[in-house]
Amino acid sequence: MKHFELTAPSELEARVERLERQLNRERKARLEAEAIAEKGLRDLYESQQWLLLLQRITEGANESDDVRASVRLALREVCSQMGWDFGNAFLVDPVTGDAVPCDAWFAEQPDKLFAFLEASRQMRFPVGIGLPGRVLRDGVPHWIPDVRTDEGFLRRNIARDCGIISGCAFPILIKDEVVALLEFFSARTVVATDTLVGTMTQVGTQLGRVIERERSRQALLHDALHDSLTGLPNRVLLAERCDLATARLPQDKRGVAILVIDLDGFKTINDRYGHHTGDALIKEVAARLLSVVQTFQSECEAARSVWYGTVSRTGGDEFVVLLDGLADEDQISELSHRVHRTLEKPFFHEGQAILVAASIGVAQSSVDHDDINQLLRDADLAMYEAKSEGKGRTVEFSKGLGDAIRSRRQLELELREAIRDCQFELNYQPILDMQSQLEVKGYEALVRWNHPARGLLGPSEFIEVAEETGLIAFLGNWVLHEACDAIARLHAMGDAQARRFVSINVAPMQFLQRNFAAQVRRTLMSSGVDPRSLRLEVTEGVAIIDPVRTAEILAEVREWGVQTSLDDFGTGYSSLSYLQKLPFDSIKIDKSFVSALSEKRSQDIIKAILDLARSMNLSVVAEGIENDEQGQLLAGMGCQFAQGYLYGRPMPEAEAFVL
Amino acid sequence: MKGIVFNLLEEAVTDAHGADAWSDLIDAAGVSGIYTSLGSYPDEEVLALVQAASAALGIGTGDVLRWFGRTAMPLLSERYGSFFEGHPSARSFILSVNDIIHPEVRKLYSGAGCPHFHFEDNPDGRLLVGYRSPRQLCQLAHGFVEGASDHFGESAEIEHLLCMQDGHPLCRMAISWS
Repeated sequence: MKHFELTAPSELEARVERLERQLNRERKARLEAEAIAEKGLRDLYESQQWLLLLQRITEGANESDDVRASVRLALREVCSQMGWDFGNAFLVDPVTGDAVPCDAWFAEQPDKLFAFLEASRQMRFPVGIGLPGRVLRDGVPHWIPDVRTDEGFLRRNIARDCGIISGCAFPILIKDEVVALLEFFSARTVVATDTLVGTMTQVGTQLGRVIERERSRQALLHDALHDSLTGLPNRVLLAERCDLATARLPQDKRGVAILVIDLDGFKTINDRYGHHTGDALIKEVAARLLSVVQTFQSECEAARSVWYGTVSRTGGDEFVVLLDGLADEDQISELSHRVHRTLEKPFFHEGQAILVAASIGVAQSSVDHDDINQLLRDADLAMYEAKSEGKGRTVEFSKGLGDAIRSRRQLELELREAIRDCQFELNYQPILDMQSQLEVKGYEALVRWNHPARGLLGPSEFIEVAEETGLIAFLGNWVLHEACDAIARLHAMGDAQARRFVSINVAPMQFLQRNFAAQVRRTLMSSGVDPRSLRLEVTEGVAIIDPVRTAEILAEVREWGVQTSLDDFGTGYSSLSYLQKLPFDSIKIDKSFVSALSEKRSQDIIKAILDLARSMNLSVVAEGIENDEQGQLLAGMGCQFAQGYLYGRPMPEAEAFVL
Repeated sequence: MKGIVFNLLEEAVTDAHGADAWSDLIDAAGVSGIYTSLGSYPDEEVLALVQAASAALGIGTGDVLRWFGRTAMPLLSERYGSFFEGHPSARSFILSVNDIIHPEVRKLYSGAGCPHFHFEDNPDGRLLVGYRSPRQLCQLAHGFVEGASDHFGESAEIEHLLCMQDGHPLCRMAISWS
């Protein structure tokens, strides 16, 4: 009791005090526990939100191959999460390295930020300039705590007017390369936290993957559509652009032009300098063509003539330029002119100066073209025409040219059939000796084509095409065989006939064939005729192409006794040096001199030729003699042999050989 | 109602009237009295506490709520100082309630029901604050505005244009600062 009494009041007080202290401690402990729990909850919530954000962006990135869509999603998610007002994306221009807005942005309330948004969507930033430029330069996030006081922030005034306080930007990287970047702006102060930077780094990685995928797809697409050597569009892309261009044409179908540019003699360059040099040359030609077309395009644009040029490589040494929207003939011919000029400058490769030229075919779209392929074909035909005219020429396609080429194509086709089916026959025009009572000394064999639809055609109607297409070699071979067989028949007819020769025309291409001499020999052997009764007529064309070889072949066949004759003498170059160097037995005075024989000038020329022939020990045949007067005159001048309608037209073997 | 509101009320009452006053209030209101900031508790309990205080002090519930709101603000700034940072004025702070403070509250307590304030600029320059609460806590809001104004060293003049208690579809205050 005593103890209780003694201690009761103070003990109670003390106890109360103790309890109060304990209560206070408990309260503080509770508050601390609450604070700890709150912090834990907040952190958990935030990390969950970051994870969810990242998850949504990753899913978006995985689902879409569209870079812009993925970027837009990321911008929206980040803005929503952070309560930021505006997010904007830039792609890095691979050529200039500038950050270029890519029309991927997000703003919760775009109307409020209109001016800032417009500025941000249009400005390009070089490395180091502005907020995007800083990220480009350093490859790490950058923060602007207060855009109003940041001197280097280019959009400062507009941002201030729109109430923007702070901003930040994050790189999107593929390995160490900044390929794009995201920038964000807020009307509040934005603080960089580790979580934020960490999350944005991962967002950047995800978006980097989308861009990488897009890049490899573009690369594949590019490879499929571009020539690997020059990087120019290839035939596939050209066709695509052509389709687009023609789809836009007006009713009259004018406004698309095609230039087919084919290098002249590229194969020779390749053979002579090697493929390595050939490739380098093609690359250089591509670069020059591109530069010429682009420069001209810009000039025309400045003069209010807007068109779009596509330079493509469509073959080894063939380029096609599509001019979409160009219908002005003067401009088109100016462009072809410039193409020729740019190629005139020598190409230098490993110390070698190489000269190159191109043949250009031009075709313009018109109502005659049902589709672009016809236009391309026309330009192609024009190019071949240009090529046939020589190096460095331009030919514009016309309807007349088209018709001519088409009929030539048709002729070529029929000629092939004719050779296959042996639709030819030889006619023989007698060659007489004017100094010996017009005795028949021989014949010129002339080929006729017994065309199944058009009847008998003379050489003038098909020889040219046969020469152009190379068919002359086959035709010439047939003529050689047939003539030799005919000689055998001729000589079997009697003594008079046995002394006669048959002269055949040999085209340069056939004559210069590697095995021509051997072929002549084989034919002579198989037909069993005297080589001296075969005369080969060539024009000076062969000597122009390859004088050395011509001399060799002539010498070789003459060794067996075959006679040789220079045809059409007096026309062309008629170089005396040919006569001197090349072994001929006779020359033929061109009929143009004979038909103009009434003129003194022609008489003088014929006299000179006869004098020349006499001094060189060559016999002379005058051809194309149509009347007595001509015959008398020529005989009077001392010309020995004569050929012409006056003495006999070309006629079938049965008629000719009995003369 | 969030536990934090009960905690703040306890703190305000204790500061003003001593620790016993809170216990008395709890007994008088017949509520549990166990509140943690991490929990949520029935609205009726806060109203019962307010009514008990009103009876004990002999003043209207509206006055009690206004007093509580104004007194709670310094306590809030002590606990959640970051919400007040970066705001130059009471107006700026109040305008951030929907966008910043409420989302923050939701971060902590999933499913926390927060009132939504509708802000509008009145042509006369006053800030109009619209607010729908079936619990008619517009007087608490009034007190919070006053407390916030105190925090920024300003003085607010608040006019209740509409009140759900008077049968209006919403409560609306017009606030001007000086």
